[in-house]
Amino acid sequence: MDASVATAGRYDLGFARWVYANIQGGDKLPLCMQCGACSGSCPIGVQMDHGPRKLFMMIRAGMKDEVLRSNTPWNCTSCYRCVVRCPRGVPVTYILQDLAAKSAALGLEPPDVPNARFARSFWWSASTFGRTDERLITARYYFTFGLKEGYRRAKANLSIAIGMIRAGRMHLGLPHRVRDRAGLKKILAKAKELEWADQARAKVSEWEARSKP
Amino acid sequence: MSGIRKLTYYPGCSSQGSARHLDESLRAVLPRLGVELDDIDDWNCCGASVGHIGGCQTPNLALTARNLARARQKGTQDVVTGCAACYLNTHGGAEKIKADAHKRASMNSALREAGLSYEGDLKVRHVCEVLVNDVGVDRIAAQVTRPLEGLKVAGYVGCQTVRPFAATEGGGRFDATDEPRFLDDFARACGADPLPFSNKTSCCGASVAVMSPERCLPLIRTILEEARQAGADVISTPCPLCQTNVEMYQQEINRRFGTDFRIPVVFYSQLMAVAFGLDGVKGAALQRNMIPAHKLAAMAGRQTGRQ
Repeated sequence: MDASVATAGRYDLGFARWVYANIQGGDKLPLCMQCGACSGSCPIGVQMDHGPRKLFMMIRAGMKDEVLRSNTPWNCTSCYRCVVRCPRGVPVTYILQDLAAKSAALGLEPPDVPNARFARSFWWSASTFGRTDERLITARYYFTFGLKEGYRRAKANLSIAIGMIRAGRMHLGLPHRVRDRAGLKKILAKAKELEWADQARAKVSEWEARSKP
Repeated sequence: MSGIRKLTYYPGCSSQGSARHLDESLRAVLPRLGVELDDIDDWNCCGASVGHIGGCQTPNLALTARNLARARQKGTQDVVTGCAACYLNTHGGAEKIKADAHKRASMNSALREAGLSYEGDLKVRHVCEVLVNDVGVDRIAAQVTRPLEGLKVAGYVGCQTVRPFAATEGGGRFDATDEPRFLDDFARACGADPLPFSNKTSCCGASVAVMSPERCLPLIRTILEEARQAGADVISTPCPLCQTNVEMYQQEINRRFGTDFRIPVVFYSQLMAVAFGLDGVKGAALQRNMIPAHKLAAMAGRQTGRQ
C-alpha cells in the first residue's frame, strides 16, 4: 500500500453512493462480487496501482481521494475484456473511463501517467478542427513536457514519422477540418453547458471543495 | 444479400492519415460485394478513447450526435464504419441516445445550435459485421480471381471491433468476443491459410501505446512473437490503431529487446483487394504499409516500389 493511502485516513461514506448515482455504469457497481475477473483479464493490470477489483472495493470503503488519484483508470487501454467477462455484468471499462474523466475535471489525475495531457491535446484538435490531426496531437502532446523533453520525444520518434510520411500516412498540409466549424463549436459549447448542469445535479462542486487540501 | 445495398459511410479521421490504406481498400472492395458507400457529409471526429477526458462526457457524445444527425440527412439506411474506435463510439453513442430520453433531449438541445436534430432512429454497424451478416463469406469467396495460395496469415482482431458489441443484439451477434472466427474466414475465403493465433484478441495498448510506448511495447512484442513462431507471412487486422501500433513499433521493440521482427501488418481488406484481382496500389494500397508485404505484392503482380 502506498503512502498516500496509508496516511489519508479519511473515509467518505457517501462516496460509494455518489459513484453509483453519477458515474457512467456506476449503477451496476453494487453487483460486483470481488471475483477479480476484471483485474485478471487486464492487459496492463500489472502496471496499475490497484486494478479494477480493488479499486471497486475502495469505492465501497469510501476512499474517495485514493480512488480519484489512482493510476488504475488511467492505465485502462479500453480493450473491454473486463466488460465482456464480468460474470455480474458490471461495465468495468465504462466506470474506469468516467472515473478518469471526473478525476481530470477535478485536476486530481496522478502525475505518473500522462494520459490527461494526451487527452487534452486530442480534444484541442477534435474541437478546433472537428477532426483528429494525428501529427499535431502527437507534437502538441510531446511539447506539454516542455521544450527539451518535447524535442527528445520528437527526435526519438523521427524514424516512425519519416516512415509514415513515405507511406503517405502522415498528412502534411493544413489540418483536415469540418466545413461547419462554427456550428460544431456551438454544439460543443452548448453540450459543455449541459455537462455543467449535469455536474451541478451530481453535486460534484460540493466535494470538489472538500477534496482540496 | 442480393443486389446492391447502399449504406451511409463514416470514414473517420484515420482514413485521412494513418489508416488511408483501410479506407482506400474498403472503397475498392465493397462495391464488388454489393455494398455501395455514401459518405456522411461533413463528418467529424468520434472522440476515440480519450474524448470524454479532454472534453467531458456530454460534449464527447455530442460529436457522435452531430455525425448521426448528418447521417440521418442521407436517409434511414444503416451507418457503417471500418474503424474500431469510430464503431465503438458511434454505435455505443447511438444506442445511448436511442435508449435514454434525457440524453436524447440534451443532444438535441446542443444540435439545435447548429440547426440539426437527431431522433435516435439509425443503426450503426461495423463493416466486418456487414460482411458477415449481410454479404456472407460465400459471396466474398465468389469474387476471388487471384487466390492467395500459400499466404500464411495471422488473424489479429484486436479489441474494439468485437468488444463489447460483437455478441450483442445491437451488434448483430456477428461473432464471439474472445475467439472470433470472422477474420480467419475472410482469409480462407481469399484462398490464404489462416494460422491458429491465440493472441487474436489481445490488446496492443491502443492510445496508451501512442502516449507511453514503454507501457505497451511488451504487449505488441507478445503478438509479434506468436505470429513469428506460427510462421506468418503477414498479420491481418481490421483495426486502424492495431495496424499502426503493431507495425510502427517493430523497430523500437527490436532495439529494446534485441529481436529482429519485420512482419508486415495489413488490413483484411487489402488481402481481399489483391484476391479480387484489383490493382496492388490503387485497390489494395499496399504502398502504404511501412513494412512492405512483399509476398502479397508479388501475388498482386507488382512490387510496391518501397523497400
